[in-house]
Amino acid sequence: MHEKLEKEALWQFGGYGFLIAVTMVMMFPIYWVVVASTLPQSAIFAGGAGELPRLIPGSNFLANAEALAARPEVDFYRSMLNSLVIAVVYTGLALLFCSMGGFALAKYDFKYKRTLFMGILGTLLLPTNLLVIPLFLLVSNMGLSNSYWAVILPWAAYPLGIFFMKQAMQSIPDSLLEAARMDGASEFQLYYRVVLPSMKSSLAALAVILFLFQWNLFLWPLVVLREGKYTIPVAISKIMSNDMIAYDQLMVASAMAIVPMFVVFILLQRHFVNGILGGAVKE
Amino acid sequence: MSRQLLVPLLDQVRFKREQLKDRLPTLPGTPLLFLSPFFLLFGVFLAIPVFYTFYLSFFTFQGVSTEALFAIDIGAYQIMIPEMANLQYVGLDNYRRLLTDSVFYQSLLNTAIIFVVQVPLMVALALGLALVLNAAYTRYKGIFRSLLLLPVSANTVAYSAVFIVIAAEGGIADIALGAVGISPIDWLSDGFWARNLVAFMSVWRWTGYNMIIILAGLQTISPSLYEAAEIGGATKIQKFRHITLPQLKPIMLFVFVTTTIGVFKKFAEPMIVISSGGPINETRTIVYYIWQVAFQNLELGYGSALTVALVAIIMTLSLIQFKVS
Repeated sequence: MHEKLEKEALWQFGGYGFLIAVTMVMMFPIYWVVVASTLPQSAIFAGGAGELPRLIPGSNFLANAEALAARPEVDFYRSMLNSLVIAVVYTGLALLFCSMGGFALAKYDFKYKRTLFMGILGTLLLPTNLLVIPLFLLVSNMGLSNSYWAVILPWAAYPLGIFFMKQAMQSIPDSLLEAARMDGASEFQLYYRVVLPSMKSSLAALAVILFLFQWNLFLWPLVVLREGKYTIPVAISKIMSNDMIAYDQLMVASAMAIVPMFVVFILLQRHFVNGILGGAVKE
Repeated sequence: MSRQLLVPLLDQVRFKREQLKDRLPTLPGTPLLFLSPFFLLFGVFLAIPVFYTFYLSFFTFQGVSTEALFAIDIGAYQIMIPEMANLQYVGLDNYRRLLTDSVFYQSLLNTAIIFVVQVPLMVALALGLALVLNAAYTRYKGIFRSLLLLPVSANTVAYSAVFIVIAAEGGIADIALGAVGISPIDWLSDGFWARNLVAFMSVWRWTGYNMIIILAGLQTISPSLYEAAEIGGATKIQKFRHITLPQLKPIMLFVFVTTTIGVFKKFAEPMIVISSGGPINETRTIVYYIWQVAFQNLELGYGSALTVALVAIIMTLSLIQFKVS
């Protein structure tokens, strides 16, 4: 018995050790981007042999941020605004379209429903990065290139989203809808007075997934947006496309791209977890 | 839960049509009204491009200049093709070229190597973490879970930049390795290491995400299975091998399929490594190559052929993974 307890203690010790070690390694880059954003470039890297880069915050944050602001070709602060506007509008539109479509698929029957649905499922395995060439020609011809809409519209019909909403809405009892119909509610009233309010947590879950998806899009905005309309990822890639990369500015930009999202993410994490487990797929 | 997770896909394939038909209302027009905004966008921006890619792969855009390409929208609202005056039908030429394109093979190989380095490491870490977080003794589970999941929310380009600074000459990675007696690694100039850097970056970003999925799978395994094994005197390791792993199979399949797709569409990480001076030949992924061909060389036809090939590869790999399991 005694031996068994000892063995158990060893397992626990090992388990905690592993958990804490991995967590610390995972957290380090996050800590480092915050620290590096407050350092002058010379302190981000070790100077001579054996010399350490500084691991504690310095006082250069504002100076770095100002230097970053002084680069019109990057226009980083504008890109933050662009990213935010695009991600918010995108999330709103995609939520609306996916929930309406999901409602139709979950709670009505109609001809070719199965065909339509299979069509959507077929695109689930298709990574968004692969459609940039035809999309570029298409969007350019519509006169939309270099506009917010060019980045918002193409994935506002998010296949995983309509799928997710359909799954969630199937749990709404049909009797509830029938009762509302008896009371004289129109089908559209049914949707926004009965269905949407009962789907709050699913909508929140999908919203987090959609927002992150748009926030992280890189290849498509890189192709279709030009100066003045850059999103954060594109702007950061412009800082790096220089021959002499200003690492201090790069770290300020990265910190500003990463840290605020962390705060939001921690607050909304429950919804995100529901989202990945319910619909269970990556962007 | 494990069913709920994976099966959406499979279940829907076996759609219970008759059953639904009895119960659901069939109001003329209403469902289509609800569906129309989605399907309008879906048709224009997803369905058409899928077929259009295929179509474009039989053409060449020889002689199209950057200006011409970016100026298309000035003569707005014209149908796509006529504007591209230099579009020429070339039949299967693009595909023939692809078969002998060494850069294509090299970038496929790079993608495959990144996959081989990333996946075992990531899955092992995610599984290990999930096991510890699922154990009865572990405390502060919520905090650990939150912290480990954080990387998923990091902007792809921004976190890539952070890793570049960590891995660059004189960066923290060198110092840390030096502290344990390993000589500095040329992460950004040595091809082998630059490619591994891309894999390690992805491990950092996706481990927590997969951990959450595996954890959900672990929680669906019935405790009675373990109790029965304990009565039979099974050790921890035996229980893991004979109960946990087999029960996790559907979840693992899900993790492998999504990761495969994730690796084959990798763009941000290699792009950032290359633009900070990394060795392009060893870090160029297939999507990076497509971007180069299409938007730097302006060979949209050939880029489309490469895309079609890549889609075929992804579909085949996903099918194989479904079949194998």
